[in-house]
Amino acid sequence: MSIISKDLEQMGTDDSMSDDVFEDDTLRAAPTQRNTRSPTGYPDYRPPAETPAKSYADEDMPIHKTILLGDSGVGKTSLLVQFETGKFQQGNFSATVGIGFTNKVVTVDGIKVKLQIWDTAGQERFRSVTHAYYRDAHALLLLYDVTNKTSFDNIRAWLGEIREYAQDDVVIMLLGNKSDSGLERAVRREEGQRLAREYQVSFMETSAKTGLNVEAAFAHVARSLVAKANPVDPSRLAVRAHHTQEQRSSCPPCS
Amino acid sequence: MASTSKDNVQAGPSVQSNPSDDLEPGACPESILNPTDSFDEFASEMSCSLQERNKSLAAKSSTISEIQSEIGDSEKDGSEMKSTKSSDDLQSKNGNMSASASSSNLIEENGDDEDNEKDDYLQSPELVNKEKHVFVLSSAGKPIYSRYGNEDKLAGLCGVIQALVSVIEDQNQDILRSISTKDCKTVFLVKGPLILVAVSKSNESETQLVLQLTYAFNQIVSVLTLTQLNRIFEQRRNYDLRRLLSGAERLIDNLFVFMEKDPAFLLGAVRCLPLPEKARENITNAITTTCHKIRDLVFAILIAGNQLITLVRMKKYTLHPSDIHLLFNLVRSSESFKTAESWTPICLPKFDATGFLHGHVSYISEDCQACLLLLTVQRDAFFPLSQAKHTIAEKLRRSNCLVAINDALNRNEELPTTNPLKHIGIPEIRHFMYKCKSTAQLFTSDPISLDRLQDYRIKHKEGGDITVKKIEKLSDIDYVRNYRRFCSQIHCTSIPAKLIFRSNPHDTILAWVTNGFELYVTFDPLMDKDQAIKAVDRLLRWIKREEQRIFIMNAPTF
Repeated sequence: MSIISKDLEQMGTDDSMSDDVFEDDTLRAAPTQRNTRSPTGYPDYRPPAETPAKSYADEDMPIHKTILLGDSGVGKTSLLVQFETGKFQQGNFSATVGIGFTNKVVTVDGIKVKLQIWDTAGQERFRSVTHAYYRDAHALLLLYDVTNKTSFDNIRAWLGEIREYAQDDVVIMLLGNKSDSGLERAVRREEGQRLAREYQVSFMETSAKTGLNVEAAFAHVARSLVAKANPVDPSRLAVRAHHTQEQRSSCPPCS
Repeated sequence: MASTSKDNVQAGPSVQSNPSDDLEPGACPESILNPTDSFDEFASEMSCSLQERNKSLAAKSSTISEIQSEIGDSEKDGSEMKSTKSSDDLQSKNGNMSASASSSNLIEENGDDEDNEKDDYLQSPELVNKEKHVFVLSSAGKPIYSRYGNEDKLAGLCGVIQALVSVIEDQNQDILRSISTKDCKTVFLVKGPLILVAVSKSNESETQLVLQLTYAFNQIVSVLTLTQLNRIFEQRRNYDLRRLLSGAERLIDNLFVFMEKDPAFLLGAVRCLPLPEKARENITNAITTTCHKIRDLVFAILIAGNQLITLVRMKKYTLHPSDIHLLFNLVRSSESFKTAESWTPICLPKFDATGFLHGHVSYISEDCQACLLLLTVQRDAFFPLSQAKHTIAEKLRRSNCLVAINDALNRNEELPTTNPLKHIGIPEIRHFMYKCKSTAQLFTSDPISLDRLQDYRIKHKEGGDITVKKIEKLSDIDYVRNYRRFCSQIHCTSIPAKLIFRSNPHDTILAWVTNGFELYVTFDPLMDKDQAIKAVDRLLRWIKREEQRIFIMNAPTF
């Protein structure tokens, strides 16, 4: 036990590698507070969230493939984790390796929509792997980091790749993540809006940290996918999209 | 001196056909792991000439395309696909060596103004007083990786390294291998288009350092494949490889911490998670029955806490321990595998350095931190493998295997392997490690190192500085540090030792290598030889008795 407490003390020391996997005190301390016993005796057991993440049931529901895209470190995985569990892991950055896969059922306007979400690695070396999945995608969430101008500048290149590899009628949504950053912000909301208008894609600013617009973004995508599948009432989509964009979340709770 | 470690290299996994009683503890007729020692490779690495070295990297054919063509053949009698390597690599290598003129300019520049900013940076706290530095640069002298500090600011140093290497190659037609000063060893390794350098004040031998650099090179190959690495530099000698390696630096960082602390690297062996024989059998069966119809699957590997639980393989193919170490390192270093089922290309350099396998990687369940890797040659097999994973997880839960794995991971007090020294009952033994050579598996007495490895990223934040040691109870890692010198004597290529017995006021250490095993034991200081031999006898008997639990004794295939 003394080893662990010693390690906790030393945790404050700085880490020189910027791309390192690091954990901070809040994370390390967390397991001790959990009292729930695991059915199989695992010490750090966390009881599963109320909504099971992977439900292989309801096979009749149409599956919509959704891909998260964007530069490394813009917060794709954090956004997904926030959406799935409602949690944000402070200071715990670990680059995604390859592609991560999650199923999630979203209810919009009383209709259940099954999203099959692919969380991609932002690094260049994984591009060829991710390209293979563009073609089948129904929706793309394209993220940039509002505190990182380069990630915003690269959006045009990303949209170019999407044009090249994805289907023409794919639903695209541009998200400016880390909108909670205040003074560190390097990209104004208007710039994001302008770019989105230029490419005729929808736009929101999100925060995986505070949860702002996270559900709204996925709900918007789900709604667009439903509207695309049943093109009965095209007017509904436009109104709703505008509505959810400015407010916190107007759709019914998804989980 | 007739028996060197070289004599023991078997061509295949077929060892001896004796009845099992005569076998050394842990040995079995067939092995999942390829027992070729890295030390032998090292010997050939060190003895080869400049030209041989340039040839060696281009010689192998692709195992992956072999498997693909085999699968293709049985479907439709297709054409024989065997990638034949041309001798392009050789020629391009010769072309590579024409860059020394520019690099010698670099030296002069540095020599002219000694007190410029770059030299100041070499004196900065980020860089001074480290136990071991590692630098990777391209053969054109461009920085790729530095263990400490910012490699951008080390361009000058990399220029000097490149100049040293190329001057010796060009002018002396020789290879620069190492430079030794009073308290510091500098070891160079030129592999393909990369130069790797370790500057170490630790007690590791030159051999051990070269092995570590080879691992680092393999880690890079594992991310890019050797084909891509060579092609990039053939096309653009000046390419900045950091673009493609971004996100992989932490793999190399973690690998070095891992190598310094885990005896598995020192001995070129794999540690297995001790499990009751029945439990391991159930786990293996769950995997084989689920996967035997998935034809492109090459390996199914279940691991937990840097230990192997089971490995099921395609017939004919085995894995090399160093490939498994890279998988351990990948899983340990990637938190993102915990958040979702993942699909990623993985190159295993010893298996096939020229191409990627595709891996489905996932943790078995929320409440069991064992990680399952399903490796295939098929690039779009995610969904069948995902299905297989869920079936396997369900089977393991129903057969209580998850409980068995968790018990072993949590080191349940009732298990004999949790505290082996207490269980063996020889109080004079403080620590031991045992490697079964024919199966390349390892067992050590003090699994505490695992806890410490859990935290190795945090430890790493101490910065690797050389500090004055406080005297406290030795940990597994300290014992392993002590064994380093004995290991290098035993694996010495010129005059290998077979048995070493050394006593000093702190402890008594016995290192013993036979055809079948390697054993390192630390005793109390005042231990005489007779006592030690008796204790070792009892120890070996205990290992033999528990071998089914602490080793994987079969070699299952799909």
